[in-house]
Amino acid sequence: MDEMKETYIQEANELLENLESSLLSLESNPNDGSNIEQVFRVMHTLKGNSSMFGLTKIAEFVHDLETIYDKIRQNEMQLSKPILDTTLLALDHLNKIIIDSELEEEDNQLNHTNLIAQIHTFIGKSGSVEKKEDSSVETEQDVEGPITYHVMFAPDASIFLDGTNPLILVSELTGLGKNIVIPHFKAQSIEEFNPLDCITFWDVFIETDKSIDDIKDVFVFVEDSSTIVINELKYTNLVSNKEFGEYVSSYMFKEKSIDVNEINELADKVGESSVKESSKAVEVTPVKAQTEAKVTTKKEAKEKVLSSIRVSSDKLDELMNLVSELVTTQASLTLFSQKNESPELEVISENIEKLSRRLRDIAFGMTLVPINNMFSRFQRLVRDVSNSLGKEVQFVTEGGETELDKSIIETLTDPLMHIIRNSLDHGLELPETREEQNKPRKGTVKLKAFYSGISVYIQIIDDGKGIDAEIIRNKAIAKGFVSPEQELSDKEIFDFIFYPGFSTAEVVTDISGRGVGMDVVKRNITDLKGSIVVESAVGVGTTLTIKLPLSLSIIDGLLVEIAKVNYIIPLSVVNKCYEVSNSEMKGNFNKLLVLDDKQIPFINIRREFGYKQQPDEEKSQIIVVSDADRKVGISVDHIVGEYQAVVKPIGKYYKNQDFISGATILGDGSIALVMDSHKIIDLYTEHSKLETK
Amino acid sequence: MAKKILIVDDSESIRLVVGTALRAEGYEVIVGNDGQHALDLLLESGGVNLIVSDLNMPILDGISFLKEVRKLDKYKYLPFLILTTESQESKKMEAKQSGATGWIIKPFVKEKLIAVVKKVIS
Repeated sequence: MDEMKETYIQEANELLENLESSLLSLESNPNDGSNIEQVFRVMHTLKGNSSMFGLTKIAEFVHDLETIYDKIRQNEMQLSKPILDTTLLALDHLNKIIIDSELEEEDNQLNHTNLIAQIHTFIGKSGSVEKKEDSSVETEQDVEGPITYHVMFAPDASIFLDGTNPLILVSELTGLGKNIVIPHFKAQSIEEFNPLDCITFWDVFIETDKSIDDIKDVFVFVEDSSTIVINELKYTNLVSNKEFGEYVSSYMFKEKSIDVNEINELADKVGESSVKESSKAVEVTPVKAQTEAKVTTKKEAKEKVLSSIRVSSDKLDELMNLVSELVTTQASLTLFSQKNESPELEVISENIEKLSRRLRDIAFGMTLVPINNMFSRFQRLVRDVSNSLGKEVQFVTEGGETELDKSIIETLTDPLMHIIRNSLDHGLELPETREEQNKPRKGTVKLKAFYSGISVYIQIIDDGKGIDAEIIRNKAIAKGFVSPEQELSDKEIFDFIFYPGFSTAEVVTDISGRGVGMDVVKRNITDLKGSIVVESAVGVGTTLTIKLPLSLSIIDGLLVEIAKVNYIIPLSVVNKCYEVSNSEMKGNFNKLLVLDDKQIPFINIRREFGYKQQPDEEKSQIIVVSDADRKVGISVDHIVGEYQAVVKPIGKYYKNQDFISGATILGDGSIALVMDSHKIIDLYTEHSKLETK
Repeated sequence: MAKKILIVDDSESIRLVVGTALRAEGYEVIVGNDGQHALDLLLESGGVNLIVSDLNMPILDGISFLKEVRKLDKYKYLPFLILTTESQESKKMEAKQSGATGWIIKPFVKEKLIAVVKKVIS
């Protein structure tokens, strides 16, 4: 709800801004009808929104204000300076109470009362605020015990053409209580028979606690086209009376509806006490429609455009491309200015660099939306699922402000929903079980999003029973995914969860565990160029971590050189740089370097990349990059400097590797490869594993 | 398959409230900012099961939008609900005459909205 409230406030602020400018142009142009319309329309929207959010004080206030302009619009009142002054004051007041809708501040309260009084002097109302009928609250009539109604419902022949199904109305009616339904057919000769016509009508006897208004509500959309007669019968237990039932059933499929007098007579025969003189008949007659032309002025349309505009995605893509080109060209300019050693040129080039950086941020920010939108959708899911499972759950979200590409968020919703269902169904224990294990009764499912490097991480964390690696392993062996003698790390074992056709749930429930799912989840995420990892501890809980690339194709990087080839390491993962002598690295057997009194594992990229010869210089640079919760050093020959890199894909010939995520063009036209430090570290750890085996 | 509902309102708050409520009921929801946008969406989307539309909108108002929808053969009988306020009684009748299936009176509670939606597309 908070997100909705935020949207409400944001929109209300926009509306008030809009209102202010409309009022001001109305003041300078009092005879312009379109201004009045605009003022009225904005007030109307604000009133509607406020009442939707239950902010009755604001809604009533705006309603009164709106009444003034409605009257002016209908020429029942003249616009005057006092009216405009008061409206502008009211506007200022609204700006304040949008965030204080209950008028908790004393000043606001006082202002509110004063302004209402002033507004009422214009619309000729006195005393307290008129109580508006809240149409959403049903006003229950005083009904003592159930009443039996006779309802005759004869839909208009053309009812099917409205898209209405009369049977749904009948079943809605019978849902109100005990009933007898007698259908009838209108006779039609074969010549006049039209299959699109509705020729059925119904007599329904219904015994219900509901009021006559509730019955009328059923027919609210068809009341003007159909014939509906509702009679209240004095006798209450006719519906269950066998003799009565038999009698009315004899009318079934006849062309005539049952006469009320007959029913009353019959009721007498059936043996009830006194006869009711006449039943209360309510005939619903069609209401004559009034037509009113609605003129939408061009101005209105224009005003709306200012708050937000729709842009085709083609144009956005084009903008991104142009920004990329700009960044590349700017790199050439920087290089050129450095070579020329002209201070003026350098100043210009630096300014352009700053501007292009800002332009880049804005352009890429346009396609991003906060992940909160998706998170709040899961609240309801968690509530419903946990209720149906009899589990008590606290749902926590963190990092909702993290932004992701809109299309990624949309693709991600279903996989996340599946994972959350799994956590609720298989992860969390029942409240009793949890208490026995000294865990809080209420389980916790946490949804967390955060940035790291050029990726976004989303974690689903539960404090449930965890996954037993041994069970997964045995099952994987049983399914033939792995041979029994193979040694596997927990991480590798948990990966089996994502194999097609793998499901560990002993009981398959409606909620999850149909064995289709986790493999689809993984595929969805891989399609987004992301990855998913499971960590779990028995009795403690399970954490699923999804890693997704940011859509940004321009990154801030560190330009380095290895054997005369340029590489870019994303600046966001770079932790610190050190200088180390080559002899120290060469004589190193455990692949650990002591840097700042800490042992840090390192990767000798020259060796990993297969360069046989040693670098010319005596010293190499170690760049310490952070990867999740570890730090790893990467050795390079030189550090060239910071560089804004436009990352381009490197084409299908290189698709079988993933430690280079792209390439970028440098200022002098040469190419630098962009390293994916995470993948390089993975590669290294796997190498080391093979070596230890 | 989830039924698809097109919500048309120039107010983002209303779109959000209505959309969230209907999504929670399992409907697929697409939203239009005004009649014209909605009409474009309708033609692109390849069909919806219900339209819920506001009346007061810029560019193309609700009634005009409804009339345009009814001109399309494919949507001649599509359930179409209008969102209106109690002060617009005359509008309600105009909408009805132009082919609206029914209406939802603002303000409404979620349950009411869902009941009405179910009534027309269950």
